[in-house]
Amino acid sequence: MLIVHCPVCGAEGDETDFHYGGEAHIRRPATQDPTTVSDAAQRDYLFMRRNPKGLHFERWRCDRGCGKWFHAVRDTVTMDFKATYGITELPPRELMEAASGEWAAFFKDKLDAAKPSRKGKSS
Amino acid sequence: MSEAQLETALTGREAPGDLAIEIRELTTRGMIDLRGDAGDGKFMAAAKDVLGLDLPTAPRTSAAWGEVQALWLSPDQWLILCPRARTEELLAALRQALAQIHSFAVDVSDMRTIIRLEGHAARSVLLKGCSLDLLSPDYAAGTVRRLRFAEIAALLHIVSERPDVLDLYVFRSYADYAWEWFLANGRAVAAIQPFGQQAVPAV
Ligand SMILES: [Zn+2]
Repeated sequence: MLIVHCPVCGAEGDETDFHYGGEAHIRRPATQDPTTVSDAAQRDYLFMRRNPKGLHFERWRCDRGCGKWFHAVRDTVTMDFKATYGITELPPRELMEAASGEWAAFFKDKLDAAKPSRKGKSS
Repeated sequence: MSEAQLETALTGREAPGDLAIEIRELTTRGMIDLRGDAGDGKFMAAAKDVLGLDLPTAPRTSAAWGEVQALWLSPDQWLILCPRARTEELLAALRQALAQIHSFAVDVSDMRTIIRLEGHAARSVLLKGCSLDLLSPDYAAGTVRRLRFAEIAALLHIVSERPDVLDLYVFRSYADYAWEWFLANGRAVAAIQPFGQQAVPAV
């Protein structure tokens, strides 16, 4: 049984109280001009999903709580939920760094972009 | 011509005498689905103007002012309870007050059926159909919780404690199922003991 924690309302329960919503962080290839999107890009967007061994990033819905969607990091080997985070947010930094394979490639530029020097928040 | 008449989903049902709990349908309650941004001071103030209460913003809580109650459903959604006869008036007032504010208010009085459970065994009977730890102090009077009850979506409102009064809201089309579930699982002989040794049933 999976124990899930909702980051929005704090509800905690097993997976029957929640609803799995597929892979997280999927971007539609283009919203401005659909005619410029290649068939391959559209196909990947619709059908191609990652199937990692280890950390996986998913969408879940707090079905029997607040009804909101959120993100979760689950280890596909141990079924352990490492973290849950907001639907508009990126995962905690250490989990982006711990991701492997395709996810590591996906998060690489996000980690680079999030380097403290860029936004100069420390000043 | 016949007049349209309000008939609730469980009209005419009566619980048998051998139940460990008392159950009945609440038929005179109006319900309004209210949505808006809790972070918007104007929205909260307008709602308070009409309802007389501060919409609860803490998860799983409720508020009451006179005969009006607000149950928290989500960070931006509340179920407003009032006497059925007042629903129209309250809804009109809400809509007027919220006219310029991004929000909505809808009469959903016929969307759900309310089953009231009473008695010291109310929680232990309900426990048979859900995964919540209803015996923990988290479920004190005033608590509101959406839950999966006997495989259907439901909303639980702990009205009061000692003796327990629990209101279970189920969608109208499930009213018959939920009612029958309580008749089947709420019989006195089927009472469960949450802790300790269970008595072995006579064979
Ligand atoms: Zn939630």
